[in-house]
Amino acid sequence: MIRKKNARLAALAGLVMFLSTLGVLLARQFNMGPTRPAPGFRTFGPADAPVQILEYSDFACAACRKAATATDEMLKIYSGVIRLQFKHSPWVNIHPWSLDAAAYADCAGEQGKFKEYAALLFESQEKWEKAKEKPKEFEAFARDLNLDWPKLEACSAAPETRKRIKLDMAEAEMKGVNSTPTFFINGKRAVGLDQFLEQARKFDNLLRAGRSRPVGECPEK
Amino acid sequence: MNLKTDVKDILGLLARLAVAGVFVYAGILKLLAPAEEFAYAIETYKVTGPGLSLWAAYIIPWLELYSGLLLAAGIFTRFNALFCGAMLVFFEALLAQAWLRGLPVTSCGCFGSGSSNSLEYEFFQNLVFLALAAAAFRYSRRFSADAAMDAAETRL
Repeated sequence: MIRKKNARLAALAGLVMFLSTLGVLLARQFNMGPTRPAPGFRTFGPADAPVQILEYSDFACAACRKAATATDEMLKIYSGVIRLQFKHSPWVNIHPWSLDAAAYADCAGEQGKFKEYAALLFESQEKWEKAKEKPKEFEAFARDLNLDWPKLEACSAAPETRKRIKLDMAEAEMKGVNSTPTFFINGKRAVGLDQFLEQARKFDNLLRAGRSRPVGECPEK
Repeated sequence: MNLKTDVKDILGLLARLAVAGVFVYAGILKLLAPAEEFAYAIETYKVTGPGLSLWAAYIIPWLELYSGLLLAAGIFTRFNALFCGAMLVFFEALLAQAWLRGLPVTSCGCFGSGSSNSLEYEFFQNLVFLALAAAAFRYSRRFSADAAMDAAETRL
């Protein structure tokens, strides 16, 4: 009798565990988990902006370079109504220096020049992305921007810096980011620049409410 | 079988639901975030290395979720109350050693990687949950799947 009762309870326990596991996996699939905010130097636009964009990017990816130009333009055109958080998603298996590039960019950000350093990384990515040894460009960019190179180098090797980037990577993996750039515009996924621009057009109405210019038009003089 | 419900049964049920709620909430928050986040929080206690911390970060949230749900439903109630209590004792030991060693733990990892209260606060908060787990162990068989199964068998 007791064995039968325990067997029934065990079956019930199994059902509860199965259903809860399924629920968690579905919640992960639909990105219902919290998103860690990017550090301030990788966040652009006001916190209460109606359009919230997360961008998962890799400094060594050519499509990300194009996307960076487009997002920069959008941020200028729609300043005040867009908030963009830049997240690192370096593909370390195919881009050996991506993770280092992300670390240097973050450390440049701590010295107040993330965007400038990131722009230089994107602009000359062919020069460093496939380098056999540690690219000299990392130091050259820092010197061009008058950054404190020894401090930057120490910061890029610091465990805290690496952890922050690896958390971005883990978050990207959990969100199913399989290619870069991947965007989440108000939670809706857009893979690649074309999908991003397509979504941006859909958001145009919302943006029009804040400003009166559609995507792609220059700001009024 | 005594079918009369008294205050102890009600308090036991509330204690059971409170502990279960905390465990389910803590488990879900961690499960919906990358395991690495929780692993880094565990590393700050300086008890385990990165490898073991990551394994712990994969396993503990599932244990919290399952034990919390089973406790809430009253399935193997006493065992799950005991299991939750044992986990709380384990967490207390981790918090206490970090507190005594003065480790700079910025996020206790209790409820995901978000900012948390001080170690002392978390330690005393856990003591309250431990007391509730004890109450759940002692008094909460009423209003449980265990009790329902017993009642069904008695009718048969």
